[in-house]
Amino acid sequence: MTRLNLNKILLWALFGLCVIWLVIPFTIAILWSLVDPSQPWTPDHLLPPSMSFYRWGYLWAHSSLKIAMFNSYMLAPSVAIVTLTLAMPTAYALGRINFPGKEVVKLLVLLPLVVPGFVTAIFFTAILFQLGLNAWRFGAILFAHSILFLPYAIRIMSVSFETVRQDHIDAARDLGASTFERWKVAYIPALKPGIMATLLIVFIYSIEEFAIAFIVGSPNFTTIPTLLFTNLGANFIRPNAAVISLILVVPNVILMLFLERLLRSANPALSSGKG
Amino acid sequence: MKAVSVKNASMHFGDFTAVQDVSFDVGEGEFITLLGPSGCGKTTLLKMISGFLQPSSGIIEIGGKDVTHVPPERRDTAMCFQSYALFPHLSVADNLQFGLKQKRLLTAERKQRLQDVATKLDLTAQLDKLPNQLSGGQQQRVALGRALTMRPSVVLFDEPLSNLDAKLRDSVRMEIRKIQRDYNLAAIYVTHDQGEALAMSDRILIMNNGRIEQAGTPHEIYGTPNTSFVADFIGDANILDAEVIGEEGAGRWRLGTQIGELIAASAAPPVAKTLKVCWRPEKAQFGPGTENTITADITHRAFQGNYTDLFVMIASAPQRVQWRDNAVGLADSLTMHIRPEDIIFLEAIA
Amino acid sequence: MTWRSWLKLGLLLAPGLGLILVFIGSVVYIAIAQSFGLFSLSGESEFSLEYWSRMFERLTYNRAIGYSLYVGFASAFLAVLFAYPLAVWLRRPFPGSLTISAVLKAPLLVHGLVAAFLYVNIISYHGLVNQIMQGLGIWDGPHRLQNDSRAIGVLILQTWKNMPFALLLLVGSVSAISDDVLDAAADLGAGPFARFRRVIAPLSVSATQAALVIVFVGALADFSFQVIAGPVNKQSLSQLMVFFKGYGRWHDAAVVAVTLMGLGIAGSALLALVSRFILRGGRLS
Ligand SMILES: Nc1ncnc2c1ncn2[C@@H]1O[C@H](COP(=O)(O)OP(=O)(O)O)[C@@H](O)[C@H]1O
Ligand SMILES: [Mg+2]
Repeated sequence: MTRLNLNKILLWALFGLCVIWLVIPFTIAILWSLVDPSQPWTPDHLLPPSMSFYRWGYLWAHSSLKIAMFNSYMLAPSVAIVTLTLAMPTAYALGRINFPGKEVVKLLVLLPLVVPGFVTAIFFTAILFQLGLNAWRFGAILFAHSILFLPYAIRIMSVSFETVRQDHIDAARDLGASTFERWKVAYIPALKPGIMATLLIVFIYSIEEFAIAFIVGSPNFTTIPTLLFTNLGANFIRPNAAVISLILVVPNVILMLFLERLLRSANPALSSGKG
Repeated sequence: MKAVSVKNASMHFGDFTAVQDVSFDVGEGEFITLLGPSGCGKTTLLKMISGFLQPSSGIIEIGGKDVTHVPPERRDTAMCFQSYALFPHLSVADNLQFGLKQKRLLTAERKQRLQDVATKLDLTAQLDKLPNQLSGGQQQRVALGRALTMRPSVVLFDEPLSNLDAKLRDSVRMEIRKIQRDYNLAAIYVTHDQGEALAMSDRILIMNNGRIEQAGTPHEIYGTPNTSFVADFIGDANILDAEVIGEEGAGRWRLGTQIGELIAASAAPPVAKTLKVCWRPEKAQFGPGTENTITADITHRAFQGNYTDLFVMIASAPQRVQWRDNAVGLADSLTMHIRPEDIIFLEAIA
Repeated sequence: MTWRSWLKLGLLLAPGLGLILVFIGSVVYIAIAQSFGLFSLSGESEFSLEYWSRMFERLTYNRAIGYSLYVGFASAFLAVLFAYPLAVWLRRPFPGSLTISAVLKAPLLVHGLVAAFLYVNIISYHGLVNQIMQGLGIWDGPHRLQNDSRAIGVLILQTWKNMPFALLLLVGSVSAISDDVLDAAADLGAGPFARFRRVIAPLSVSATQAALVIVFVGALADFSFQVIAGPVNKQSLSQLMVFFKGYGRWHDAAVVAVTLMGLGIAGSALLALVSRFILRGGRLS
């Protein structure tokens, strides 16, 4: 059999896999989210007998969905900005200064990714208790998220700083530019895609983060993932869970595709990050 | 028996034809060179012989057996790659034995062949090193040795010397030829370096645009090129458009060209009434002769050490002359003649 | 470097690396200290080995260790097992290969909880799998597949979610192997399997190690998949830790946390060594 034929067969096999892999699960979720409560979706029907957006409207009006979305979408942009700000100096050092022990610093920066999320969450709460700050939920989650996602921000931004061209900086200095002017002409244009990518990736990760939000936030601070978790557990109502799942996943997938494009244009080596 | 026979092989990549209707044989112990400009299909042809590419049409035989549909790992060929393609994670010894282990040879036999090749190629001191600890020349020798341990019916070389510096190239070239003779291996050697081809080969196949333009011994190719492409590619040539005006007795023709009327002597008759002809710059004879006497204006001279390159104008056609005698002086013009047998008939002008 | 440039470097690193070290450092420190009875939030703080010794006697704890290790190792193994052939296949681009890798990587974009929900939908009592099996006449009635006792659901989810990640790492290192090197192996008589075993595998050791370790550490600490799709009669270490924390038993939670981290390190080292040994064809150096 030639390689061409083999590829064709594999391609079809993969197409089938893709259907099983993605299309079927999501179609079922979408269908469940559209089930109208007037007629339940019983196994003898291929499609729900009656479909409407009732669940979407109901959850919006009568559950903590609104609050959870508000929390998540307040938290995520704040985390993105704080993380970026905290990451910049370290990224600058890693990207533009040569110093002994740089490789060690690069490894240490990855620490938040190594410690299991629930360990971080639980013992961060313990610290909050010790400090008497346990009522300060939004701030605490904001703080923890900002540090948790620093590794991504530092990694992307230090690569961005590396791509700033020394001859641009030198040319600006040579032409008498002040420090501020130098940043404007040499640094900012080169850093822009990196900044966008950092903001986006941290935003997405913050929206998705579960362990910290669940442990630190419980019982009364909900985000979209914690809301989904409660709806998958104790009060499991399939159509409701379907709605929340879609609300969690769809915007992030769109943002991710956007991010992938951004990363590829900013730096091809980075696009293997996520997505 | 022929070591390799290629019969009417063609290779198409989509609409593009990389190799077109190529046929040739390689005898046992024969060293054949595929010579041609970059992109003419040499590597493609080599990969068809080694089995990495399936010919779009045609037949490949190795040792008299049709192997057209046999995968590379079961063909009795060994390839020496341009990039060397040494296994970076294996020591020199393991690189050299890789193929023998695949063949599941007995340990004693394997050790024997390893020693044999390592001694021949002067690698005994390097056996425990990794490829990246070797110099370019040593890596080249490991690549060669790895192919030779297989004792294949035919060794294939794809521009094996292009990553070496000029000095090293000359010595490795001789080494390859010597070892090939010692083992009496058939070899197909790809290069775009005409000097290499002339110096090494029993026979040269000149390729152009996926076809074989001409095949022959180095002397034949240099002395009687068939086309202006071959004449130009091998050595230097002054190529002229000519019209056959008349026959001057046995094997002699009178030609009208840009540089005047010339008498040409050739065993083979011209292929058409209007055709290309050429003469080699070093064939110019000093002073007037009985035929083809020419006066040339010198426009530029370039001293080359053992000879001088003269760029001359003959009846407003630029030509090149090589002058062995460096004492041309500073004259503006010179008188010379070309012997009729030094004028070579090429292809017809369409 | 002068002390001034060191100072400048220190100031630059403080908000990024500094915060990370302080935060993660104190989290790990508190976990270890609490596991030995210190930093008590309720009663008295004093050093003791009691929490450890009592924990070792608990059946739930010992079973959680075994269970989490099983999930961790099995997930790492399965993810790499599926990713390897795909990585070799996708080594060089061909028509359609971009689409394929996009599809394969899609699970990276799907939140773990959503993935669990999608899975639960499909295997539920009246879900697709049950319907198909009954439709084909293989099963007489619906089977209960959710929360299966061998944690197959958790393993499916872990593999689904982590395989793309392993794939990403492996494709990178497998496609770095030059065509010439693989052609040379084939030319010297190595068939497809020998090429994999003797050339591709040894040359992608570090990517395989990285993939195994990262998937293992993640799956070892799994909480959500276990809670939603895992067996009801078993607990993962994270689940146990959250359970203790929920009852305010911080010291017990700390013991589990330290166990989790310790197993993570030990298991990673083991995986790295074993995978290196196997991929190098039984040699360590
Ligand atoms: N796999 C391929 N697909 C399409 N075109 C190819 C492929 N391999 C080679 N070619 C084309 O075939 C021609 C001959 O290539 P090659 O045999 O490598 O030339 P060379 O004589 O320099 O070794 C080139 O124009 C090259 O672009
Ligand atoms: Mg070539």
